[in-house]
Amino acid sequence: MDEDNKMTDETPKKQVIETEVPLGPVHSAAIEPYRVRLFVEDEIVKDAEITIGVNHRGIERIMEGLPVEKANSLTEKICGICSNIHIWNSVLVAEKALEIDVPERAQYIRIIMAELERLHSHLLYLAHGNEVLGHETFSMRLFYIRETVMELLRMVGGNRVQYGVPVIGGIRPRAELDQMKIQKIEDGINFLEEKLSNFAERFISDPMIMSRITGVGVIKKEDALRLAVSGPTLRATGVAVDLRRDMKEYDPFDFDVITQDDGDIKSNLLMRVLENFESIKIIRQAINHLPEGSITNRSWEMQDTPITKNYVEAPRGKLYHSYALNDGRVRHCIIRTPSITNIGAMEYACIGCHITDAQLAVVQCDPCFTCTDRAIQIIQL
Amino acid sequence: MSLKSYSRARAVHVMLVYTGGCNGCDIEIVNCVLSPRYDIEQYKIFLTWNPREADVLVVTGPVTRHNKEPLKAIYEAIPEPKAVIAAGACALMGGVYKNIHGDIPSEEICGPVDEVIPVDAKVPGCAVRPEDVLAGAVAALPLLLDAE
Amino acid sequence: MTVVDSLIALIAVIGTLIVAFVVSVWLPGIERKFVQARIQQRIGPPISSPGLMAPIKFFFKQIINPNSPMPGLYNSLPIIGIIISILLLIIVMPQLYFLVAFASVVALVGLLKVEEILYMFMGSLSKSVLSIRMPFPDLVKGAKHRDVPRSFVEELSSMRAFRLIAFGSFPIYIAIFVPVAMAGSIFLNDIVAYQQLHGPVLFTLGGILGAIVFFVGFMILLNEYPFAILKTKADVIEGPLLEYASKYRAYVYISRGLLIFVLSSIFATLFLGLPPTILSWTILINIVVTLAFTIIMAIVSAFSPIFTYKQFYPVVAGVSILGVLAIIASFL
Repeated sequence: MDEDNKMTDETPKKQVIETEVPLGPVHSAAIEPYRVRLFVEDEIVKDAEITIGVNHRGIERIMEGLPVEKANSLTEKICGICSNIHIWNSVLVAEKALEIDVPERAQYIRIIMAELERLHSHLLYLAHGNEVLGHETFSMRLFYIRETVMELLRMVGGNRVQYGVPVIGGIRPRAELDQMKIQKIEDGINFLEEKLSNFAERFISDPMIMSRITGVGVIKKEDALRLAVSGPTLRATGVAVDLRRDMKEYDPFDFDVITQDDGDIKSNLLMRVLENFESIKIIRQAINHLPEGSITNRSWEMQDTPITKNYVEAPRGKLYHSYALNDGRVRHCIIRTPSITNIGAMEYACIGCHITDAQLAVVQCDPCFTCTDRAIQIIQL
Repeated sequence: MSLKSYSRARAVHVMLVYTGGCNGCDIEIVNCVLSPRYDIEQYKIFLTWNPREADVLVVTGPVTRHNKEPLKAIYEAIPEPKAVIAAGACALMGGVYKNIHGDIPSEEICGPVDEVIPVDAKVPGCAVRPEDVLAGAVAALPLLLDAE
Repeated sequence: MTVVDSLIALIAVIGTLIVAFVVSVWLPGIERKFVQARIQQRIGPPISSPGLMAPIKFFFKQIINPNSPMPGLYNSLPIIGIIISILLLIIVMPQLYFLVAFASVVALVGLLKVEEILYMFMGSLSKSVLSIRMPFPDLVKGAKHRDVPRSFVEELSSMRAFRLIAFGSFPIYIAIFVPVAMAGSIFLNDIVAYQQLHGPVLFTLGGILGAIVFFVGFMILLNEYPFAILKTKADVIEGPLLEYASKYRAYVYISRGLLIFVLSSIFATLFLGLPPTILSWTILINIVVTLAFTIIMAIVSAFSPIFTYKQFYPVVAGVSILGVLAIIASFL
């Protein structure tokens, strides 16, 4: 492993690199603020470096010492795209530490929220990908489809971006689903499925788009494993790893782990399109078999716990939260988001692309630097 | 209405600078600009990524340390008359990131936005709704119209 | 030529130019509102906004010094672009065919070449805030390749403009020579006269192929969406045009609309034998051709992503071969 690292460190130095083109932090293709330094030779990218740290806000430090309920709602502010999965994971850590049983109805509603959020995140990814590709019409189309999901999220959670549905022991009473809401969700996902399959057909049969994205920005399977890539980006290279298979919350549901083989931009985009159908499948099962009963378990007591950790599958990959509880307050909080491990893959995927494809190669890994940059690392535990 | 004001009202170029919030406001604004559902172009507002073309600067997020200088540079690149809209709770008062633990200010945040550049309109919300962004852009318009 | 004749010619030229301006300011709006917004299922801007009101607005903005080693030259380039468009329009007008040597396709090709070269100058003169000049600490300890020379994004688009001069303009030039091959003359009055005798070039096999080739070349010359590598949003943002502000940006807006009208008029002259002149009702056909070109261009650009060189070279090569076939067909 050491030798491998040496190899990768030394190989770029042998090349003669003509020029550097820095892009960002304010750039039309990268909506988030980050700097990409592209080292180009005759418009072909030879090496790339992503400089993050623009979004550094120090949320973990703010969370340190807060009451656990407050800290949970603060984790939602880590990311506006995958806010629900952050609060869910944070709540799961507390529930794991305090050994709280969650009512089954609450589990189902949490999963409905998580999958709706995955849908909106993937649709945003596809829309942004198409915008960077230069295809404004598809981008608009996807934003239009995505609006259905946003409406459903607003209906269930009460807000378009940060919903705050899970609380320790269950879900917020606001998010209780009655028959009318279930009907609306069903109509929504039916509409979505129809529109999305239309889109998928048109997308796959478009020769101009396919020639742009096939075989560009390839991440090979071995390299993906070496670079510790996670989530859909890893699945797009052919490794069938989905943390949802290991989560006990997802046990009652039947869904497939989608994989693609090539690891290029086409695989990554198709990956997300196909995963949307799996999410729709899970939501449909959840609303059809929604159990009766209460939605919150209030019979639990706060106690001091050691550091507890939990992994979940976020829309972008593996998400890690861990903290200890002391006197009802959060201590030693550590959060690791999927994009931090995918940065290596983003830099790697740029190499060998034409410079116009470079931003697309970064976007294919679904970067969320707002997740990635939030932390202060506390080394001494 | 003079030709100057009329033409300014009929074509407003908006630039979005995102200074390190949680992405929520950012998506909602891009959503409001790009999606056919809200379609900001029907209100004669166009999205641009070039400060030389822009009239209105929409800023989201608390201004983080690394983003202070880029934000100033972009503000200075916009030719007069210009207006700045601060969108979202973070841009207005630093949001949950600014005041950690009582009154201790966070050293990571240089914001809110009006401490870095002058702000003309404020759009509250966490995250802002697209409708509110449209309203904010409209609220900043009189400033542009009456300017020299 | 009498004084009255030259007076009429002068009136015709000025009148045609005014018509060209009036038509060209509506073209971006038509493109945006009636085609792209309709395809994308939204309402879209009012049709006066993108092409007419935006330039007027830019005239009322503060004039700032662009960030450029030669601000004066940089700011004058869009005006040169407009002047070249006007010259192109004047050349194809029948009133000026007495300038025999000047009213030929050689002059057309030369002026179009200058139009392309402008982008190269613009790219190398613009030094925008959006790339190197952005104050951001990225050359820090531990960063990769710290001693590499750094370049502005506009330099990239300048290089691309250079390449486009080399290969991107093949289609339009080949297409221009299709009517030349048919009429057997490079002079515009001969080409127009030939078409008045034998019917328009467009309605022959060579003419149809030539029209397709001309259209592709037209889109490449205008840097419209599949061929917008010079100013793609994916890396160079707006490329050479980044530093234009206030009234100089207004000139950029105007010059684009005018170029659409001018190129369509060249098409009408060469392929339909109807040069633009206000003295004849055929100017209506010129306007219809302009609208058709704008609408087809908007439809094509709404349904296509940006082409990188991997797609650009085959398209240009294929279209050029089609153009050569068109010339061969026109000889038969």
